[in-house]
Amino acid sequence: MAAERHASPNWVLLSLMLAGLLAWLSLDAVSVAPNRIVAGAPHRAYEVMGGWPMLLVTLPMLGVMALAWRPDSRRLRLAVALVVALLAALPLWLAAAVWALVDPSLPQARLGIGASVWLLLFLWLLVLLELRTRLGLARWQGWALLLPVLAAWWLALAHWLEPLALNREYQGRSDQFVAAIGYHLALVGAAVGASLLLGVALALAMRRHAGLQRAGFAVLNFLQTIPSLALFGLLLAPLAWLSARVEWLSALGVSGIGWAPAWLALVAYSLLPMVRNTFVALEGVDAGVLESARGMGMSRQQVFWQVRLPLALPVILEGVRITTVQAIGLTAVAALIGAGGLGTFIFQGLGQAAMDLVLLGALPIIALALLADALFGALADGLRHGGAR
Amino acid sequence: MPLLWLGLLLAATLGMEQLEGVLRLIEPDSREVIYRRDTFLALLVQHVMVVLVASLLAVAIGVGAAIAVTRPAGRDFRPLVGQLASIGQTFPPVAVLALAVPVLGFGTLPIIMALLLYGLLPIVRNTLAGIEGIDPAVHEAARGMGMTGVQVLRQVELPLAAPVILAGIRTSVTINIATAAIGATVGASNLGDPIISGIVNGNTAYVVQGAVLIGLLAISVDSLFERFMPRLAPR
Amino acid sequence: MIELFDVTKRFGDEIAVNDISLRVEKGELCALVGTSGCGKSTTLRMINRLIEHSEGEIHLDGQPVRTFNEQLLRRRIGYVIQSTGLFPHWTVARNIGLVPRLLKWPRTRIRERVAELMGLLGLPPAEFAAKYPHQLSGGQAQRVGVARALAADPEILLMDEPFGALDPITRESLQHELRDLQARLHKTIVFVTHDMDEALALADRLVVMHRGRIVQQGRPIELLREPVDNFVASLLGGVERGLKEAGLTRVSERMLPLGPRLLARERVAQTAPLRDALSMMLWHRVDRLTVVDDDDIPIGELSLRRLVGGRPE
Repeated sequence: MAAERHASPNWVLLSLMLAGLLAWLSLDAVSVAPNRIVAGAPHRAYEVMGGWPMLLVTLPMLGVMALAWRPDSRRLRLAVALVVALLAALPLWLAAAVWALVDPSLPQARLGIGASVWLLLFLWLLVLLELRTRLGLARWQGWALLLPVLAAWWLALAHWLEPLALNREYQGRSDQFVAAIGYHLALVGAAVGASLLLGVALALAMRRHAGLQRAGFAVLNFLQTIPSLALFGLLLAPLAWLSARVEWLSALGVSGIGWAPAWLALVAYSLLPMVRNTFVALEGVDAGVLESARGMGMSRQQVFWQVRLPLALPVILEGVRITTVQAIGLTAVAALIGAGGLGTFIFQGLGQAAMDLVLLGALPIIALALLADALFGALADGLRHGGAR
Repeated sequence: MPLLWLGLLLAATLGMEQLEGVLRLIEPDSREVIYRRDTFLALLVQHVMVVLVASLLAVAIGVGAAIAVTRPAGRDFRPLVGQLASIGQTFPPVAVLALAVPVLGFGTLPIIMALLLYGLLPIVRNTLAGIEGIDPAVHEAARGMGMTGVQVLRQVELPLAAPVILAGIRTSVTINIATAAIGATVGASNLGDPIISGIVNGNTAYVVQGAVLIGLLAISVDSLFERFMPRLAPR
Repeated sequence: MIELFDVTKRFGDEIAVNDISLRVEKGELCALVGTSGCGKSTTLRMINRLIEHSEGEIHLDGQPVRTFNEQLLRRRIGYVIQSTGLFPHWTVARNIGLVPRLLKWPRTRIRERVAELMGLLGLPPAEFAAKYPHQLSGGQAQRVGVARALAADPEILLMDEPFGALDPITRESLQHELRDLQARLHKTIVFVTHDMDEALALADRLVVMHRGRIVQQGRPIELLREPVDNFVASLLGGVERGLKEAGLTRVSERMLPLGPRLLARERVAQTAPLRDALSMMLWHRVDRLTVVDDDDIPIGELSLRRLVGGRPE
């Protein structure tokens, strides 16, 4: 559009970038410690190698700001490229900081990532989000943009960022880490799978009996208000009691702590969103469509399997998405009752005041949640496009 | 109904000692079955205070931000704030809490910060949904009758969006009560303490005490919202 | 009096209203008609500045609207829209009293005014004052909408398809009421509609818009008789224009005074439109009607030849 050609400045990009610049110049970028116990010595960005490497980050940021001053779609595309370059350049800057600040003769010496670097990462991702919206890029295109960034980080972590504190924590327990992710996902999968079966069955039953519908939702709503930690705790006693009395249960590994109470609590929490979405989805199918299906002479079964269910599927899938994301977070809490998973690192780290260990647990959990969200979101979109509009 | 739950909560907080006999059944072998490191009343007050402070801040900031981005001047920020609120929702509360600690250290501050950040999201999302869900014709009529921006906001938008906004606040507070309990692991003392300590020491009676109190608190607050929440305005 | 001088409105590259000039006299009801997207609603909304015009000038009683404070301007202009836009959280009485309250009238005066208006629009206050919009039927809600617009006694009323969402019977009765109201109140009204019968029935002046331009304006009968082009002709009803014109002409204009002949059996009121007379002739298979006055006393006769405007026998 011609009128857009001389558009007014994009204040969102400008303010985000300005905030980033201020943080970059004023907050601690990294901290260096000789070992795990000692608190690190903080360094600002301009204190690393006389400040030259920081231009690697500062100049592209200024560039993005200049582009945002008179935005058109070509300039915004250029800005996307710059931000992706920035995200990929950050590990290089960290590598420079490692080279300059970490004494290679100390095997335990480590470099911690400071506030300004975290903030920059966060703000840049917001900038990407904003650019994606303004340019109208599809969801998958947004994710594709992150691929070169991930590749750059991967490369740097493997070759030059060995003393990064996060990396050091990982190296100490790489086997545990992989196992924890697997276990975390297994628990989430088992809980979501069980609640999907149970939830769909419940929703179908509720459609038959109005009384069950009211009572069911009352109970599920009630369950949802009980805090997770409390529910985990409350399951300890009865399960411990059961496993002491019932032999085959204890033989199965059921006990007051561990996977059993975690799984039960996860299923209990997952039921409400699952049942609600399934119910609403099945009930929400356009009455006109159903009527015309019956009018064409389809039997009850045919209407359900060929019309109602396919049309309801995206909404049901939405329930699975909510449930999965929620379960990924709750499983982290379950580590407190000995259920294992990534939460273990968080609580170990908190116990030992080892912040990088906390991050080693928290970051993958967030990544898993985002990934699950994107995956199911894309799946539901796909179903909508293919099946029902 | 709220009175009943509040009564139960208070009774349980003050009269936990009287339940020693019952709790003894759960944990017959332990030396101690009542958590005594702190009074339950102090823990309850701590818990409520943290949640209250975080929630009030979250309401002020969240509703404020949502109002700001639905005004003509702040409209540029609307897409970003909306996306942030929906993406932020996928962040697990525990992870947010865990990330607050490295920045803010141990104690009450990181918990308030984490609760505030996490509690913001449902409030922002619902305030946006509430304001933008208003029939455009109503908005048009309000402007057409000559109401100023502030009048439209106060007399039309906020009253009509109130039920949706309050539903967001309710979600936010419910999550915060639960998440605050996990805060016991980062050194804040609240109703999560007995649970953590019970898990660590293998004393189920402690766990039950903490869990029951948090559960009662959550249900009391929820029933308060239920009781005093205005019904959704018809159409 | 409302005047538009060479007014243009652009949305980005799109021209919604293209260089139009228009003058609506005081006390006149001016109907803007055209297909959807022709710019009629945009034109209406530029008058109370819900949309700002890009070029040209809009004057109210000789003063440019841009010189008014936006809100004060709108409080002086009544505004009625198709979907009523009643505030769902306010009672009927409060909805009607909105503008007087904005203008800080004393409370008792507002109450009196609201009661007066509800009476005027056939909404007994005892029954309706405390109701909420969702408890009203479509027609009642639109009456409240009109009452709200009239509350502060504005000289100008802007109506954007006010009766478009109503069933035909309710619509017709509200059109009647509007005509009666207008006969009493003499507001300056700009009325947007795509219902040509509505426009013909209500308008003193008809303005036909097409693709952002005014293609023709004038008295309805003038447009019916001499449409400037095929678009206006087809918009006004194509071959049915004859019937529409018959709908605008009264029997009294064509009748002959009573003659020596026998009275015809079927009677028609002298105030009825020719269209009704024609319909009666078709229905009863006759070619002559007796014309009667309000008291049903015969005063003339109407033959088919006179009705169609043929020369007298």
